[in-house]
Amino acid sequence: MDVDLVQLAGQRGQLGGTSDVDPVTAEVVRGAMETVCWEMATYVSRTATTPILNQSNERNGSILDASGRLAALSVGIPQFMLSSALPIRFALEYLGAGEFRPGDVFVANDPYHGGGHLPDYNVFAPVHDPATGELLLIPSIQCHHGDTGGAVPGGYNVTANDIWGEGVRWPVVKVIDRGEERRDVLYALQTNNRLPGYLGDLRAQIGAAQLAARRLTEIVERYGADAVKSSVDYMIDYASRRFREEVSAWPDGTYEADAYVDHDPLGNPDIHIHVKITVDGDHLRIDYTGSDTRDEIQAWSTYGNTRGYTIAQIASMMDPAIPKNEGFFESIELVAPLGCVLNPRNGKPVSAGTHHPGADIGEVIAKAFEHVLPDKAVPQTYKTGIPTTITGVDPRTGQQFVDPSTEVYAGWCNAARGMDAWGAQAASFGNLWKATAEINESIFPHIQWGRDYRTDSGGPGQWRGLCGSHWVKQVLVPFKLYTYVVGMKYPMPGIAGGAPGAPNRLTLHYGSDHEDVVAHTANWVPHEAGERLCYDYGGGGGWGDPLDRDPQAVLDDVLDEYVSVEGARRDYGVVLTGSLEDLTLDVDVDATVALRAERRSAA
Amino acid sequence: MGFRVGIDVGGTFTDLICVTPSGEVILDKTPTTPDDQSAGVMNGLELLATHVGCSLSDFCAQLDALVHGTTTADNTMIEMDGAPTGLLVTEGHRDEIEMRRVHKEEIWDPSYPAPPPIARRRARIPIPERLDVDGNVVLPLDEAAVRAGVQRLRKLGCTSIAVVFLHSFTNPAHELRARELIVEEYPDVAHISLSHEVMPKAPEFERTSTTLVNAYVAPRIASYTQRLTGKLRDAGFGGQMLIMQSTGGVMPPEYVSKRAVSLLASGPTGGVMGSTVAAARSGAPDFVAVDMGGTSYDVCLVRDGQPVLKTDDNWRYRYYIGIPMVDVESVGAGGGSIASVRQGALLVGPESAGAQPGPVCYGRGGRRATVTDADAVLGYLPAGDTFAGGRMRLDVDAARAAIARDVGEPLGLDAVDAAWGIERIVNANMANAVRRVVAQYGADPRDLAMIAYGGNGAVHAWAQAPELGISRVLVPKAAPAFSALGLLVADYVIDLTRAYVTPLSRVDVARVKKLFAELADEADHELAPANLSPDDVTRSAYALMCYPGQNWDMSVPVPDGGAGLDEPGLFDLAGRFHDLHEADRGFAFRNQQPLLRGVRLAASGRTPKPDALAVVGTVTDASQARTGARPVWFGDGWVDTPVYDGAALAPGASVDGPALVEEPFTVVVVAPGWTCTLDAAGTYDLRTATNSA
Repeated sequence: MDVDLVQLAGQRGQLGGTSDVDPVTAEVVRGAMETVCWEMATYVSRTATTPILNQSNERNGSILDASGRLAALSVGIPQFMLSSALPIRFALEYLGAGEFRPGDVFVANDPYHGGGHLPDYNVFAPVHDPATGELLLIPSIQCHHGDTGGAVPGGYNVTANDIWGEGVRWPVVKVIDRGEERRDVLYALQTNNRLPGYLGDLRAQIGAAQLAARRLTEIVERYGADAVKSSVDYMIDYASRRFREEVSAWPDGTYEADAYVDHDPLGNPDIHIHVKITVDGDHLRIDYTGSDTRDEIQAWSTYGNTRGYTIAQIASMMDPAIPKNEGFFESIELVAPLGCVLNPRNGKPVSAGTHHPGADIGEVIAKAFEHVLPDKAVPQTYKTGIPTTITGVDPRTGQQFVDPSTEVYAGWCNAARGMDAWGAQAASFGNLWKATAEINESIFPHIQWGRDYRTDSGGPGQWRGLCGSHWVKQVLVPFKLYTYVVGMKYPMPGIAGGAPGAPNRLTLHYGSDHEDVVAHTANWVPHEAGERLCYDYGGGGGWGDPLDRDPQAVLDDVLDEYVSVEGARRDYGVVLTGSLEDLTLDVDVDATVALRAERRSAA
Repeated sequence: MGFRVGIDVGGTFTDLICVTPSGEVILDKTPTTPDDQSAGVMNGLELLATHVGCSLSDFCAQLDALVHGTTTADNTMIEMDGAPTGLLVTEGHRDEIEMRRVHKEEIWDPSYPAPPPIARRRARIPIPERLDVDGNVVLPLDEAAVRAGVQRLRKLGCTSIAVVFLHSFTNPAHELRARELIVEEYPDVAHISLSHEVMPKAPEFERTSTTLVNAYVAPRIASYTQRLTGKLRDAGFGGQMLIMQSTGGVMPPEYVSKRAVSLLASGPTGGVMGSTVAAARSGAPDFVAVDMGGTSYDVCLVRDGQPVLKTDDNWRYRYYIGIPMVDVESVGAGGGSIASVRQGALLVGPESAGAQPGPVCYGRGGRRATVTDADAVLGYLPAGDTFAGGRMRLDVDAARAAIARDVGEPLGLDAVDAAWGIERIVNANMANAVRRVVAQYGADPRDLAMIAYGGNGAVHAWAQAPELGISRVLVPKAAPAFSALGLLVADYVIDLTRAYVTPLSRVDVARVKKLFAELADEADHELAPANLSPDDVTRSAYALMCYPGQNWDMSVPVPDGGAGLDEPGLFDLAGRFHDLHEADRGFAFRNQQPLLRGVRLAASGRTPKPDALAVVGTVTDASQARTGARPVWFGDGWVDTPVYDGAALAPGASVDGPALVEEPFTVVVVAPGWTCTLDAAGTYDLRTATNSA
């Protein structure tokens, strides 16, 4: 059952439309296909039962062509949209196009058959040319489910010894056979899942895939199969050409960088990622040889996941108008040796790997490019940091509650050249929609005392990294807490001379006489009713030398308390006079010039 | 009965409509005066007075009602030049407005900038105070902190103050006390917005954003309406002035100036309200209203005669607006949208030449090819000087040259193919926008009619409808002044809510009844100045309900205004909620206890409607209204197409496509395979037997 994922991800042929499609038709067809992706995602939002799908927007619509190439995608999270293509390609190539019949719908979730981790379920359906019966397109909708069987609820059994301990694997199963529900298969899927709403959400995905198949059939009927095939070829070639044009403008050379994850969920320290990027004309090679290969570690990013994160970071460094399709995959030579943390051998546990070391790929690529493409090196990543799970009994209902702590907080958002970081997270996560105090206090027995930006936590730079949140949560009943914290030893790095952001820190029993700062994990630590937790989220890295920051901008930051008066002097070499309290602050120009000169000569 | 006037201020023109005591409808336009919109309004009244042959003061004295649509709120948000605004906020939640629940608009572009701040962090003052989810005081209000905070905001130059405390919609005591303290400390503050009054519901980011926008635009709205009412009073107006809100209803200035945020997008909403009246008279209850003007294309879904309200995920000018608004969504596609080739791809819009310099063919200095230029080259618009009622001459040669240069050369196409490329792209963009709007409500465009208005709606509908599988298109003759018509036909609407968050099983029925009674009193109070007959007032009471964990809520109808509610009635509510949820979202958790989030009362008061929406001609045999023919490009060669004078046609007159029906401010393009009939309501009813999509 070992699938060669590198081979699976390799280049595939064109659809071979024979018409000489014009750019206008290709653009019209692309717009129609992206709208179908959007309709799929909207269908799931409207009809799914769980908040992660109908509120947090963790649903990704995409369309593959009959060669298994990504033809279009729409709303969602870039990393996950881009990693959702391989499971469908596996199904297509394993079963063969002949087993994709009109009215069929398939389900797949397996990381070693192209997926990222087990909770991500892909549901997809074929679209045929009504005239000839030829397979043309495969729309797919990927959703993160709240459970996937396995030893612990939730799909994140981060201490599992292997993939089988994490949950149930479905490389590909047909759930609708030529329009007829396969009740045996759906029953098996539900039986292997703890959540009663699972099948309802899967049905929402099935409905979305069927809607997309119907809509795409209309598009084929309207424009003709040949024009659709030619349009897909055209748009992929177009993206590929634009990609190569962008790469051509990058300086030739070889650029290397390292990134580290503090430790895996077992406490194995310093999970290492190494990248060597080669730009040669319009050719881009990204090679992860040299990344961690320790067999005992517990944090593995599947090849599909690694590929998605890689493309998401590269895409963020290019013209945002380039259509996101196979043209991106085709244009990168990606090397991730089998057995390293970014391409594990079949069987390694991966549930933590979609976060780390997966997310760190954006960081290592940005670091490699920081001096070559300083304008574009903004890591699209996060330091998952502090994903607590809190359980107890809610006295209002008498039932056990599981609070996954998915509320809003800010963290790890790097500055870009010319722009201070803003908001809460990197741009890639802009479609997420996190929970609030007022709603969650009605669901869980707790009070959220605040999540304001932490002064001085944003990485200093000519442009400032985003401050992280200082988030205090008081749980009103006895509870137990599980967590896995990273980003303490390795915070978000600064770019092009910018300083790193502040590290993550999670304090249990906060404000008591037995405060406990979590070292790497906390395994169901008991707390008494009314105890507080303090999540200090890390900041984003700064961009450029902080001594080059406009002193007026530093003054503004101090007035806004992103930076303290002491921080202005310490981190930026800016001396202020007057008082923040009285709003009489001003820059002492002479003292600032002198202090900055002194700092520069010392450096 | 006297005159009734609707005046809608648009970006370029102020649209006017007047219904005379005899029921005659007068339409006209006057240029908008951007620096002070009230000047354009007064110019418009002068113009209407001239139409009816009397002086401004005589006209004003005979005016029963002036219904007004203003873009002041939208302009304030576009220019970001509202009042300097500060925020008093529960300590620990100072930065919700910046974090935006993590949302960012551009997921592929790390350099996309932050929204311009309404209140910078220094003007967001954390106040120690806290209520729990049931409204109990966990931490008392720190009054000294409020006083000090107000003094700080004053020092920072803030003239408008928003107050957002957590769970204030359940217990407003702290916010109400804060208002007293603000007034004591800062007696001449221009405005105070309390979050529980602006948006009495969870969650905190949405409420903070809505309240800040309200505080930011309110002083502008107040000074504008005061200025306008002053001018009207000076001119002798003693009737009632009403202002269009984004819910599609009208209310007096005193009411709306407290809820300034409810004026956002009221202009497009007016157009939608006009379309509902026109569609009802043509027998089309379910339709999509599309307004294609110079710079934007506005889309709204109407079901069973009612425009859908957006109650979730509603972003305007990069701020979240958490009050219900008629869901008019806009894309950057209009007659002025600029066509260009970038990296080998043809783009149309969102960049627009607008009215100034405008399309190349207008000859006002526009140099870049636009959609209207393509319309002119392909024959939809008349060359020469019959366009826009003879007020404008179209230079088709100049349009052709610009298209050949901007689009043809880079793509290797001749001018006609390039123009057709522009048409296809802009029509596809608009069709995709329609799909996205209707998909949000689970509707299928094939079940809908399309009502096309705005200056360019009727020119492009023929190409969009087949993309969507729509086989019926309505083009009201009043379409160019539709927003103004919508003002005149809109009813009084007030929509009031009170929060009460608790599982349905634990609801105190007496408390619910008391809340409904309070809402009824408030509605009576607000509607009193309208002097409505009780027969003209309808009230609908709703319980706001959701499943635990849901972000949004649904309005579940409650019989007889909630007055007769009892325990079994609550049980019925749960069942009705499950049913509604299943109908709207496709599933219900019948074994789950719904959560009550609050109560809502929507009251409306009927206003008089004009009998006729437009003036029609007398020619029933369309061939007698034929004025000529010209070649038109429908995508497959030039077709010699007859042209008709729309003003001459009588109800019942019918033409088969291909045909062009010219109206003073637009052209109705009737494609081959379509038939166009003028109906009794003065609306062109276009139908086709073929349903392409």
